[in-house]
Amino acid sequence: MTVPGFILRNALRNKRRLVLTLLSVTLSLFLFTMLQTALREMTQPAQTEDSALRIIVRHKVSLGNALPIRHQSRIERTPGVRVCSKFTWFGGLYKDPKDFFPQFGVDADKIAQIFTEAQFDPQEVAAFVKDRAGCIVGVKTMERFGWKVGDKITLQGTIWPCDLHLTIRGVYRGGIDETNLFFHHEYMDELCRRPGLALMFWIRADSREVIPELIRRIDEMFANSDAETKTETERAFLLEFVSLIGNVKLLIGSICSVIVFTLILVTASTMSMAIRERTREIAVLKAIGYDGWQVFGLILAESFGLAITGGFLGCFGAWWGTWALFQRVNIAAISNGMFIKFEVTPHIVASGMLIAVVLGIVSCLAPAWAAVRTSVVTGLKELD
Amino acid sequence: MAVPLKYNWRNLCVRWRLTLATMLGIALVVAVFIMVMALANGLKVTYISTGDPRNLLVLRKGSTAESSSQITRNDVRLIKYLEGIARDADGQPLASPEILVLINLQRRDRRGSANVLVRGIGPVGLQLRTRIHLIQGRMFQPGLHECVVSRRIAERFANCEVGQQFRTGRTFWRVVGIFDAEKTAYESEIWVDADEARNVFKRNFYGSILIRPVEDLAVVARMIHRMETDKQLSVRVLPETEYYQEQTRTATPIQWLGSVLAVVMSIGAAFSAMNTMYAAVSSRTREIGTLRVLGFRRRQIYVSFLLESVLLAICGGVIGCLFSLPLNGVATGTMSWTTFSEVAFEFRITPLLLAEGMAFALAMGVMGGLLPARMAARKPVLDALRSA
Repeated sequence: MTVPGFILRNALRNKRRLVLTLLSVTLSLFLFTMLQTALREMTQPAQTEDSALRIIVRHKVSLGNALPIRHQSRIERTPGVRVCSKFTWFGGLYKDPKDFFPQFGVDADKIAQIFTEAQFDPQEVAAFVKDRAGCIVGVKTMERFGWKVGDKITLQGTIWPCDLHLTIRGVYRGGIDETNLFFHHEYMDELCRRPGLALMFWIRADSREVIPELIRRIDEMFANSDAETKTETERAFLLEFVSLIGNVKLLIGSICSVIVFTLILVTASTMSMAIRERTREIAVLKAIGYDGWQVFGLILAESFGLAITGGFLGCFGAWWGTWALFQRVNIAAISNGMFIKFEVTPHIVASGMLIAVVLGIVSCLAPAWAAVRTSVVTGLKELD
Repeated sequence: MAVPLKYNWRNLCVRWRLTLATMLGIALVVAVFIMVMALANGLKVTYISTGDPRNLLVLRKGSTAESSSQITRNDVRLIKYLEGIARDADGQPLASPEILVLINLQRRDRRGSANVLVRGIGPVGLQLRTRIHLIQGRMFQPGLHECVVSRRIAERFANCEVGQQFRTGRTFWRVVGIFDAEKTAYESEIWVDADEARNVFKRNFYGSILIRPVEDLAVVARMIHRMETDKQLSVRVLPETEYYQEQTRTATPIQWLGSVLAVVMSIGAAFSAMNTMYAAVSSRTREIGTLRVLGFRRRQIYVSFLLESVLLAICGGVIGCLFSLPLNGVATGTMSWTTFSEVAFEFRITPLLLAEGMAFALAMGVMGGLLPARMAARKPVLDALRSA
């Protein structure tokens, strides 16, 4: 019998115990992977080459205050600004509060130049620009409500005192968020009797190098005016938004460590159970010439194999499971817009596997050490 | 006679290392469940306890939050003198037009910033909220850019103690008092004079009107009908308590997290309990045979092993409850999805929640014990006695 065969036989000796332990390792690492993914989706806004060029200007007091539209022309004249669009959160009600999705009033002709990573059909964009009451919708939201280009929808205003009656003129795909709806800022202004306000301005800068200077310049330009601005990169803006939700990192982080700790506890007790009932056999192994460290190695290999198999099933199961699931369902719809996507990254899988490795080593340390120390005579005397 | 419970207890004590590990596993699952649910609970209780059942809140039709509602000065004039609104001793109607503005404040120790609600309020508004009292300093005076802040805000944000001042836009607000709002949602607000707030934040409208109707229900119903059907007004009227109850949905994602975690983790813990119980059964084969010879029936053996597993889980559950208790009352904050402002609240562990945690523990015990107990009960007597 080969050494690997021997280890395998030992592991399979009590199949029920093996399966139960394997299942609890799998389940725990599955949960770990899912939680880490949720955490990542919530706290780490995706960044691409294009999104790094976007800058957001808003009112310094808070996002609850709007900026005067007249700021736009001054921003546009600032060197380094390629395009600048008004960007106003509408927060309208479509049918039911549960049917929530983000809606923004924008400068129709500029939207495709700001979200360069998203794919717009030039013809659809042209149709959207021409129709003041038109809108362009992300593919996820289109699918969620079963809309088609040409459909008419009504959004009831909850913040702005007007209702929008929109016609869908186009769809966009790709980019960071495929759930948004964009409509003409002009149209909203008209319906709300021209309040002359925009919540934010979104800018696409010429290059990354000009961004720090641009941010400083814009904020300086409006310093001490009646509407001071706060300018920041898209990433900083999104991160700040996340920090408002509270200390999610701490919450999920502590849950994960509890899971890992419980896992080590459970696996260690199983390993010690498995090894204690073999005390005699180990003594025999030693009697026929295996030294302490070889025995230690055998036990380590068994525990290691168990943990790695469980880790593999759990982490890759989560990876494949989420991938397969979200091919079919719309994550934005079921999570009420909280998650835009739910992607398990290789990094997360790797950290799950790392935990499995540590688990395999730590959980057999105590019983293996005891087995190494037991002398042949005491071991042989032991009854089952 | 059933197999004495003491027998099970002693058995658990003999294999104390394994017992302890399994118990701790169950305890941690229960503790995580209670902690996450206590978070959701605290948030919900904060909203549910806010508002006076006697008050009505007037918002613009379609608005879900006071901070995004708009009510013009004309509307206010119209509503204020409607029949059906109670009057105070001086004959003034008990209607308080208010404005809610979101501002961004630095946290203490410069650890980032968060959105906070500033409520512009008049003397009538203070009269309508009886559960709020100053614990330090005095009330603000209109026209001097003074404000009072809640106790929680003073604790959590920079420059919010009496005598200090903070800046919004070009205006400095001096903190002159700190109020206590008995753990309601007002604990997350800063209060200033309504007209001053409209002036500083450039709003030519109000956000909402809080009214105290008269006691005659027929008159009140007529008034509400009048307001909601008036073409000029376009408002909706709802009890103040109901408005805050709607906001409990902020707690929904946390509740989801808690339930999913509890279910998945408890399945894992049940596996480990099962492992422990199987080990217990197989190492006690002889004892089982002896018990049978002594006259105990299969059913009694079955119940005995099941009870042992439940006993194990209940001990774990109790430890889990004890683990989670220190968290009760710890203050924290999250963002309200209605107003996008920070709402401060505390973890709240209720007896019901502890009972739910124990129910989870019990379920783990039963799930973990069923199969091993069946195996124990089915062992043939002779084989059991013969085994080493």
